[in-house]
Amino acid sequence: MPQKVLYWKGCMSRFRTKTIADSIERLLTLLNVDYTTLGEKEGCCGSVLYRTGQTADALSVSKNTLEKISSLNIKDVVTGCPGCFRTMSQDYTNAFRSVPFKVRHISQFLFDMQGELRGHLRPIEAKVVYHDPCHLGRHMGVYEEPRALIKMIPKVDLLEFKYNRNKALCCGSGGGVRSAFPEISLEISKSTLGELPEGTDILVTACPFCKYNFVEGNNRKIKIEIVDLPELILRACGG
Amino acid sequence: MSDDWFSSKRDEFIKWLHDENRRRGLSRAVSSYTAARDYALSCLPHLEKIRKEVRKIKEYAVEQMDELRKIASERITESHGNAYFARDANEARKIFLELVGSNKIVVKSKSLVTEEIHLNGALERNGNKIFETDLGEFIIQIRGEKPTHIINPSVHVPKEEVAKTFSKLLGREVKPDIPELVGVAREYLRDKFCKADIGITGANVVAANTGTLFIIENEGNARFVSNAPPVHICITGIEKLVPTLEDAFKVVQVLPPYATGILMSAYVSMITSPSRTADIEKTLVYGAHGPKELHVIFLDNGRSRMLRDPLMKEALYCLRCGGCMYECPAYRVLGGSFGHNYFGGIGIIWSAFTAGEDKVAAAIDACMKCGRCKEVCPLEIDVPKMIECLKSRLVEKGYLADKHRMIKENILKTGNPFGE
Ligand code: SF4
Repeated sequence: MPQKVLYWKGCMSRFRTKTIADSIERLLTLLNVDYTTLGEKEGCCGSVLYRTGQTADALSVSKNTLEKISSLNIKDVVTGCPGCFRTMSQDYTNAFRSVPFKVRHISQFLFDMQGELRGHLRPIEAKVVYHDPCHLGRHMGVYEEPRALIKMIPKVDLLEFKYNRNKALCCGSGGGVRSAFPEISLEISKSTLGELPEGTDILVTACPFCKYNFVEGNNRKIKIEIVDLPELILRACGG
Repeated sequence: MSDDWFSSKRDEFIKWLHDENRRRGLSRAVSSYTAARDYALSCLPHLEKIRKEVRKIKEYAVEQMDELRKIASERITESHGNAYFARDANEARKIFLELVGSNKIVVKSKSLVTEEIHLNGALERNGNKIFETDLGEFIIQIRGEKPTHIINPSVHVPKEEVAKTFSKLLGREVKPDIPELVGVAREYLRDKFCKADIGITGANVVAANTGTLFIIENEGNARFVSNAPPVHICITGIEKLVPTLEDAFKVVQVLPPYATGILMSAYVSMITSPSRTADIEKTLVYGAHGPKELHVIFLDNGRSRMLRDPLMKEALYCLRCGGCMYECPAYRVLGGSFGHNYFGGIGIIWSAFTAGEDKVAAAIDACMKCGRCKEVCPLEIDVPKMIECLKSRLVEKGYLADKHRMIKENILKTGNPFGE
């Protein structure tokens, strides 16, 4: 029997990019995944504290979260946020040695369920570009699963940024820059969007922070649609 | 703590973000650099192996910095040069002032280390006249600005601005035509090389077993500077030392493609001693066509401290190719304001050790830790890891942006950064 899954939403999807969390929950339901969330009690993974040098607080917050998740006795955690994914995978292991659960990013989770997923996917006729989020790609080495999922959607034409995978440009919101210097984040978002190949219809990312920041920077004359990976997959599933 | 440390840097950032001229110069440079580098690397597949060997060489060499410096100094002295050791910027300036004296004409080729020790000001205050001869340095010297990139110091100045600057200098109109602009600098600087009393250079790598200085360049100015005046002074960081000539040749192969996107630089000068001849009656005389005197100053200024800091030691491997800067999303929009005396992520680490951590307390908050620099670095230096570590040390000292403090308080109170 498949184990119960904890869907860890992450703060961005709980408060700012709620459609990402909704899409993930609907996909999990569609795929008959036995999952739960921590709801109001979710709390913080500690990522932003680690990334802004507030190490002591990061440690205490993440220890708390580690204990909270461990007490559920769930071994399988899935999240849509690459920041949470990296923190729980790398920083937790560095700080606490043993982590009694495995975390997957939603792109890995859906990729692993492609057998169940494939039958639901209906065509989307569009030129799609995938943006590699820094935390997911460079920091965690997940480059191919999101691309494979996008290519599974019939009729999608997957294009690439000139600089992709380990050379991908940043969306501009990482590392606490968006809160410290919002102007810089915006400029970087615009400059990365400026690298999109001619004719792009949809920019797909797999990170709530990237999505949020790209939407902010997307003020070009011909607007490009910016969606998160689970949102695109749900759309292909007719949702 | 007042928030001056933060707000003054923010103002500097905003100025850069809104300066169309500088942004234009920078983005032209970025696109021509990346295209050239990608092409150069595709022509040199064997470089993959060499850059990994260079990493190994540096890993070994920095552990022996002190020893290598002593060996190199002995070799230099044996071949009639003079070697010095400066523990910090102050000592280095003192050595320079003694060697240069006053009322001299000094020509310089590009050297980041001379920026690091604030050499020009010290020499000028002693009544010396200094000419920067690297075209980029020359441009910013007459504009009264600071360099903004370690390889291409005037990367932020587009041709239209250079034309204005040169027009003013010569008192006639100079068109924003790049070959013409280069011609102007050539004409203006040509006689300075021969009139100069002293030439000052840095070095890109130093082979300890022969005491040989390697100077890599494309313009040909460093050749003039190190050759035409009767005295050549070279200053270099102790991390530039590698054990052997063979090691140095490996570094020489890696630098040009990563630094400027070319297969090999136009010139690589190897200097081991003052110029000499024994052509008349086998009597050895120093100062034939080249300099009579060679002085080499090895500078520490924080480098040994870096070595003793296990989390930061990796920064010493940096070859100063500058490649990571062009590839840094923050540098691309912030240019020279993203750093202090060195730029980009690696520059923040270097500035912290050579100028003081407080100098980069705010600049570091513009780093997204995206990790791109590590991917493009020929030595795969893990800059983001060092940045996180330095940031954490700065926070302990109280350098925490208000917004970041608010986020923490929200998390502690409500369990999320928004406080909702
Ligand atoms: S960190 Fe690497 S890429 Fe950056 S300047 Fe140093 S050697 Fe070059």
